[in-house]
Amino acid sequence: MNTLTFSEARHLVSRTGLGVEWDSVKKLEGLTQEKAVELVLNPAPAPIRPAPAFTPWNKLEPMRDTSAEGRKDAWSIAQTEGKRLQGWWIEQMLLSSSPFIERMTLFWHNYFPSSIQKTLQPSLLYKQNLTLRQHALGNFRNLLKAVARDPAMLVYLDGYENVKGRPNENFARELLELFTVGSSEYGQADVKAVAKVFTGWGIDQSGSYVFNSAQHDGSPVTVLGRTRAFSGDELIDMLVEHPRTAERLVERVWQHFVSGNRPDQSTVQSLAAQFRRADYDIKALLRAVFNSPQFWAPSNRGTLVKSPVELLIGTVRMANYPRESIGEMVNLCRLMGQQLFDPPNVRGWLGGENWISTQTLLVRASYLSKVSRGNLNRRVDTGLRLPPQNQQEMLEWMLAVPPVNKIPDIPGNRRLANALMLDPAFQVS
Amino acid sequence: MNRRGFLKLAGALPAAGLLPELAWATERKTKNKTEASEKVSSKSKRQKAIVLIKLSGGNDGLNTLVPQRDYAQYAKYRTLAKVPEHKLREFPLDNGMSVNPYMLSLRRWWEAGELAWIQGVGYPHGVLSHFRSSDIWETATNAFEHSEIGWLAQVLPQYKQGLHGIILGEGLGPMAGKDCHTIAMQSPQVFLSQVDLVSDIQPIDRGSSALKHVVNIQHQLHDAGRQLKEKMSNPQHLSGFATSVLGRKLESVAQMILNNVDTAVYKVEHSGYDTHANQINVHNNLLFELAAALNSFGETMKQHGRWDDVIVLTYSEFGRRVQENRGGGTDHGTASVQLVMGGRVSGGRVFGENPRLKDLDGDGNLYMTTDFRAVYGTLASRWFGVNNPWSEFGSVPFV
Repeated sequence: MNTLTFSEARHLVSRTGLGVEWDSVKKLEGLTQEKAVELVLNPAPAPIRPAPAFTPWNKLEPMRDTSAEGRKDAWSIAQTEGKRLQGWWIEQMLLSSSPFIERMTLFWHNYFPSSIQKTLQPSLLYKQNLTLRQHALGNFRNLLKAVARDPAMLVYLDGYENVKGRPNENFARELLELFTVGSSEYGQADVKAVAKVFTGWGIDQSGSYVFNSAQHDGSPVTVLGRTRAFSGDELIDMLVEHPRTAERLVERVWQHFVSGNRPDQSTVQSLAAQFRRADYDIKALLRAVFNSPQFWAPSNRGTLVKSPVELLIGTVRMANYPRESIGEMVNLCRLMGQQLFDPPNVRGWLGGENWISTQTLLVRASYLSKVSRGNLNRRVDTGLRLPPQNQQEMLEWMLAVPPVNKIPDIPGNRRLANALMLDPAFQVS
Repeated sequence: MNRRGFLKLAGALPAAGLLPELAWATERKTKNKTEASEKVSSKSKRQKAIVLIKLSGGNDGLNTLVPQRDYAQYAKYRTLAKVPEHKLREFPLDNGMSVNPYMLSLRRWWEAGELAWIQGVGYPHGVLSHFRSSDIWETATNAFEHSEIGWLAQVLPQYKQGLHGIILGEGLGPMAGKDCHTIAMQSPQVFLSQVDLVSDIQPIDRGSSALKHVVNIQHQLHDAGRQLKEKMSNPQHLSGFATSVLGRKLESVAQMILNNVDTAVYKVEHSGYDTHANQINVHNNLLFELAAALNSFGETMKQHGRWDDVIVLTYSEFGRRVQENRGGGTDHGTASVQLVMGGRVSGGRVFGENPRLKDLDGDGNLYMTTDFRAVYGTLASRWFGVNNPWSEFGSVPFV
C-alpha cells in the first residue's frame, strides 16, 4: 500500500490546514492516503476561545428607533464590537489546534455570508459563527435549515422583514441563486413564491429565531414547477434534492481544495452522486474529494492562490514567525481583501486569482517582508522554527512548487526562508 | 502595464533619447527630479480621462430624479420612501422631473450646461441579481449572455497603449480582461509607500495559471509604480475638497489627473445603495455625499483648466422597485438614471424618456427606454474616437 511522501503529506496539510506546520506534515508522512485523510477529517475537538463582550440584539436594535443620536451610538457600538469579533476569530485561527475546523467554518461563512456592516449586530454574527462551526462537517441539509433560521442571516437578507402581504424577496432570491439550485434554474415567479413560503420567519426579543404564524402566508405556491403549501423546511428539502444544488457545492469545494479550474462534468456528477448517496453528509463529500486522484495529481500543486487568511495566519503558524497585534492582523486581513464577518456581498469573496490584484499583492509583499526582515536582523531568539536540515528540505517544506526567482547564494535557513517568502511561488498552495 | 507599450510611449516623448530605465535610474539619484519630470509632463499631451462612479447596490432612480409632474402617481407607490413634494421646487428640471433636493449643490453645473441626466437606462429583461446585473453592466452584455471581458477592455486597447485604468478600491469590473492594463489601489499615497518592496519580474511560461497570474500582476505593479512615482512624487495639495470617503477618492483622482498620470479611466465606488429598508434617510445621505464630492471635483478641474479633459459618469447595477416594501425600503428594480458631468458635456439636458409609472412589468418594475450600451457606444465613438462595438444600440448625444 502506498504511503504518503513528505511532499504529499505537505500538500494535504497545505490544503486543509492553516500554514504548513512541520509537525503536522511529519505526523501524516508515511501513513496511507486513506488514513491520513481520516485524520484530517476527524480532528480532535479544540476549545473555542471565550466570546468577547457584545451588546445584545434587544438592546442594540431599539437604540436605532429612538433618535438620530441613538442610531449613531448603535452604529459606533457595532463598529467597536465588530472589530472585537474579527479579532476573536483571528486569534482562534492563530491558536486552534484544529485548523481544519477553522477552514471549514470559513468556507461556510463564504458560502452563506452575512455582514456586520449590513446587520450592525456583531452578537448575531458571533452566534452565526458558532452555528456554522457546529455544522461545518455535519449534514448540508441541516446546515441550510440552520442558516435559514439564523438571526444574522434573517437580518442580512431581510428575511425578518418578509411578512404576509408585503414580501421581501432578498433571502428567497439568494436561497435559489447562491445557496441551492443556481441562477440557471429559476425565474422571478419562483423567487416570489419562495419569499411567500418564508413569510413570518423572524427574530424574537432575545435575538433568537421565531415563527410568527400571524405574519405567515400559508397559501399554496408553485416553486420550480411543484405546487403545494410548502413549509420552509419542506421547501429546503426540495431545493437540496435538486441535482444542481449538490453539483454547485461540489464545484465550490473543488475550487477551494483541489484546483482553481472548473472540474469536468463527469467528475462533478460523480461526486455529487456520492454526496447525495451519503444523504448530504459534508464529511463524506470531503472524503471523496480528498481521496480523488485529482486532489493528489502533481499537476494540481500550486494551482490555488492562498487566501489572505492562509497567508496571514498560515505564515505565522508555519514557522512561529512573530505575529502582529490582533488589531493589526484584522486590519491586514481587510487590506488583503478578506474582511472577516464582512464579505463584499452575498456572493462572498470570489477568491482564486481574484485574491491577487496589484493592490492586494502590494499589501502581501509588505506584510511578508516585514515579517521576514524583522527576524533576520534580530540576533535574539524569536522562537522562529525552521526545522529543515538542508536547502532541498526547505524548498519542499515552504513552497508547493519550485521558486520562480533564483535562490540566494549565501547559505542559511533564515536567509533562504526570507527569499522564499518573497517569491511568487509562496503565494500559491 | 505592458512593457513594450511603456517603451513605445516613452519613446514618443520629447525628453526621450534615454531609455526609460536609464532615465529613471538617473532621476532617482538627482535631487533635481521635479524639474526633470515637469519638463516631460508640460510638453506631453494632456490625457483625457473618464471618471466612472459606481453607485453599488442599485440606485433608486425614482428618488434621484423624482417625477414632479406625476407626483400623485409616484406617491401612490411611496409612503415612507418618498421625497416630499414641496422639496421638489429646489432643483426642478425642464421635463417634469426634479432632482433629489439633497443634490442641490449640483444645480449650478446644470445651469452652466455641464451636467446632463440620462434616464430610463437599462437593458431588456432586467436581471434582479446584484452580481449578474453588475456583470451585465460592466461587460456590456445582456440578460442571457455572459462575459468576463469588461466593456472598457473592448475600447481602451484601441485607444492607447500603456496603462489603461486606475481603480481606487477593488474589482476590475469594466476593465477586466487580459488586454486591459489596470491597477487597483487604495490611494496613490499608500500605493507609493509600498511599491518599492516589489521587485520587477518578467512574465513566465511555465507553472499553473495561478502562479502566472501572481507573476504577471507583480510585473504590472512594478511598471505602474515606476510611472506613478515619477508623476506623483510631489502632488499639489487640493484645498476645500469634500471630506467624505468618496470625496477623498475623487481628490486622489483629481491629483492624478492634474499630475498628468498617463491613463484613460479612473473608477471609484460609492456603496450603500441597496436600500431594502428605511430607505429615505440613507439614500438622501448618499446622494448628498455624491453631489458634494462631484461638486468639489468639478470645481477643482475647472480651477486648473482641466474640466474639458474630463467626463464623469455614474452607473449602478439596476434601479429599484416602484412600489416600496413594508420596511420603508425598495427591492431590486430595473431601469434607473445616470449622471454625466464635464466641460464638454452637452449638459442642462435630460436624455431619455420620463418613467412611465402606470406601465410596469410583471414584477412591478419600470421598462427600460434607453439601452446602457448606447451610453458606452457614445463614449467609444465621441470621446475616445474609436470603433464603436455597440453601434446597433444607437447613441445618446451627451458629449
